[in-house]
Amino acid sequence: MPREFKLPDVGEGVAEGEIVSWLVAEGDTVSEDQPVAEVETDKAVVEVPSPVNGTVRTLHFDAGDVVPVGDVIVTFDVDGDAPDEATEDEADEPEAATESASKSATEKASTRTFAPPSVRRLARELDVDLDSVEGTGPSGRVTEGDVRAAAESDTTEPQEEPPEEVQSAVEPVGEQAADHTESGEPSGTPAGGREPAGREKTLAAPATRGLAEELGVDIDDVPATEERDGEAFVTAEDVQAYAEGGTAAQGDTEAAAPDREFAEGGETTQPYRGVRRSIGEQMAESKYTAPHVTHHDTAVIDDLVATREKLKARAAEQDVKLTYLPFVMKAVVAGLKEYPILNSELREAEEEIALKQDYNVGVAVATDHGLMVPVVKHVDQKSILEIAAEVNELAAKARDRSISREEMQGGTFTITNFGAVGGEYATPIINYPETAILGLGGIDERPVAEDGEVRAAKTLPLSLSIDHRVIDGAEAARFTNYVMERLTDPELLLLE
Amino acid sequence: MVVGDVSTGTDVAVVGGGPGGYVAAIRAAQLGLDATLVEMDAYGGTCLNYGCIPSKAMITATDVAHDAGNAEEMGVYADPDVEFGEMVAWKDGVVDQLTGGVEKLCKANGVNLMEGRAEFAGGDKLRVVHGGEGQGSETIEYEHCIVATGSRPIEVPGFEFDDDPVLDSRQALAMDDLPDSIVVVGAGYIGMEISTVLAKLGVDVTVVEMLDEALAGYPDDLTQPVKQRAESLGIDFEFGLAADHWEAAGDGIVVAAENEDGETREFETEKVLVAVGREPVTDTLNLDAVGLEPNDDGRLDTDEQARTDVENVFAIGDVAPGPMLAHKASKEGEVAAEVAAGEPAALDYQAVPAAVFTDPEIATVGLTEDEASEEGFEPAVGTFPFRASGRALTTGDSEGFVRVVADEDSGFLLGAQIVGPEASELVAELGLAIEMGATLEDVAATIHTHPTLAESTMEAAEHALGHAIHTLNR
Repeated sequence: MPREFKLPDVGEGVAEGEIVSWLVAEGDTVSEDQPVAEVETDKAVVEVPSPVNGTVRTLHFDAGDVVPVGDVIVTFDVDGDAPDEATEDEADEPEAATESASKSATEKASTRTFAPPSVRRLARELDVDLDSVEGTGPSGRVTEGDVRAAAESDTTEPQEEPPEEVQSAVEPVGEQAADHTESGEPSGTPAGGREPAGREKTLAAPATRGLAEELGVDIDDVPATEERDGEAFVTAEDVQAYAEGGTAAQGDTEAAAPDREFAEGGETTQPYRGVRRSIGEQMAESKYTAPHVTHHDTAVIDDLVATREKLKARAAEQDVKLTYLPFVMKAVVAGLKEYPILNSELREAEEEIALKQDYNVGVAVATDHGLMVPVVKHVDQKSILEIAAEVNELAAKARDRSISREEMQGGTFTITNFGAVGGEYATPIINYPETAILGLGGIDERPVAEDGEVRAAKTLPLSLSIDHRVIDGAEAARFTNYVMERLTDPELLLLE
Repeated sequence: MVVGDVSTGTDVAVVGGGPGGYVAAIRAAQLGLDATLVEMDAYGGTCLNYGCIPSKAMITATDVAHDAGNAEEMGVYADPDVEFGEMVAWKDGVVDQLTGGVEKLCKANGVNLMEGRAEFAGGDKLRVVHGGEGQGSETIEYEHCIVATGSRPIEVPGFEFDDDPVLDSRQALAMDDLPDSIVVVGAGYIGMEISTVLAKLGVDVTVVEMLDEALAGYPDDLTQPVKQRAESLGIDFEFGLAADHWEAAGDGIVVAAENEDGETREFETEKVLVAVGREPVTDTLNLDAVGLEPNDDGRLDTDEQARTDVENVFAIGDVAPGPMLAHKASKEGEVAAEVAAGEPAALDYQAVPAAVFTDPEIATVGLTEDEASEEGFEPAVGTFPFRASGRALTTGDSEGFVRVVADEDSGFLLGAQIVGPEASELVAELGLAIEMGATLEDVAATIHTHPTLAESTMEAAEHALGHAIHTLNR
């Protein structure tokens, strides 16, 4: 008995996911809850579990494909008798989607969706999954309007493009094992493809408009071959030609700007999706929303180096690798308690600044697949050793992508340790909607002038970026001084 | 390739010109595809030529005579003379008119008609062998093939249809003269319909059924009025007997049947009709060549687009899974043709109605109360007896009832069962209601013409809601 498994909603508001890798192959036997695929959304990478015991009949996508939520990704042959509808439905939902799972569990067992035949046909035409449409008709019957609304919301969702066209458009990219596309010509525009015209107004016969809708083409984008009364007039042939040659281009419109020029040697492209795009959007939102000011200073940390050296061996006895980071985190939390404005969030709409009572410190970790920020919760309540152990664990999880979304949420302040790679000062971008971020430069011997003499001292360069709407420059400086004092004289941390 | 073998190409090749196949071919042609319909016998298939249509003609003609002769309580005294040969000729005329109409419709829609028996020849090709000696064959190369070969009566060992006194349903509807007596093997809908016709024409009918009930598969309260009426027409029922063999005896024959314990009963009769069911026809198709094989039921498995396991081969009607019903075949034919044309069609119907043209008629659509419970609904049930229907009383036939089944919470209609006059017509409204996702309230609030039998559906819906006017509420 075959059983189709659709890509579940793996997280709130996630409309699509990239299949990073298949963990099973066609013909494999799987048991219920066994992970079958790694799927990357713009939030995280999750493992999608099998809803059934059985064998894998068909994998409908290749690794690298971006799949809209609700598309069938695997067909299973289910062992024995098919479970009844209710258990199937529950099994459909991964743990992440607890809300909808509990909803379907409380509903009665029958899963029939009531809708007239004309509405069912419309749903197929518009590629709407009828069972997922909430009916507004009598007793919850699904109406034509419901289906049209569902189709609209699908296409207006900013991160979601029309599923079929997109798949064909991204396939060439997704198939590249190395995530790179060789290209002497633009990858997004197919041979003979046409650029969207993007008119505001288009004249066309109703049947032509119908055709455009059927083909998933925006009629305003179709290049017109005729004019009537000075307006562009699009014919059915135009639509057909555009749909055939141009759907791929249309699907990629946002990425492929018209008239793009290429360097002589060509170029390679990488996908701007998933974690990469998520980082990009975060950065842009932060930088464009919060006026950043970065305060620089340098802590002399000879004593901290000695202290850490002494404690390192003790920590190693407990299998914990002790770095400087837990000391810095402790010092930062001391500073945040003294200057709570740096542990805050600006809520513009509510006209208020929230001062956080939790001291949850995010630690930016560079991974192969991009920047991730695991969060150590309640740093104020943990010992340096505990913090060290937790940071190590979270960083390892981030690197092997097993970190959960929860473990990356709830931060109130972030530390970024760019100095691990090298360099002294930087201008970190705040992990919005937090209001401050502390960047650590490389710890090294540097000349320090003291009492009229220059000596070589271990120093730690600090770069504190603040949201200047909330935090004044003086506060930033005072906070930095307070933190530096505790890094220079780590005994003070004993008072924390 | 043999001499005289011609090859043609077509977008859609439809194998079988019954109510599934000809509908598929016409729809495909309407959608701009080049459609070729291959039929080896008669356009219209079993339904139009040998099944639904001729049997309904005979049922109606018989009823006219029977009702006229049994209307004393209305003050009508008559003893109609039936010229059986003329009745059969009239029936044949109806069939000719209809099948001719199908052929014309196909041509008018641009369907290429081809006579012969088609089999798969591999590589998206069909070989069509023309009837008769030396007629040769030709090859059709298709983009899509729709298999609509239908079904044929199941033969019971010991009763070969080729033998003179042994009839299948097709032969029973084409007899030249009425026999004095007949044994009908099988009390399914075909056996019951023909038994009723023959009994009304004065034939001594004995029904021999292996199971212990007539019309097995239908709820008891639907079949009971039919069985009682049949008995009052003089039909003898012999249940729990499996027909074993026949032998000549004097002017007629003796049919021997065995019960579970191996005891034999013998029935003297003139003819024997074997109507124990129908089996799908796939053995003429050379399925191997296209890489298909029938499932355990002898059918071709299909998906919700009527596709078989081979991407461009569809199966519809009796060779596809589901009830063997002409209207279900037609719907599948439409869907297969639309899918072949690239349209987003699907077999997404909620319910397939079914009718038995016995006296009284039985019709069902959708779920029974038990089936609704099994599907997880909490069923609300309403009934309306025809004896409370003014119109039923005025027809002189007020046997039976209408029953509706709905979901208690939402009121959505899920099914209906009807036994009684015009049940086959009445069920259409409820089928529409179910497909539309109508509620009990919708049906109850719709004004129905008075005085009609159709009011009964409205009353049944009101009964389910607890406020029927013309019957006591539950």
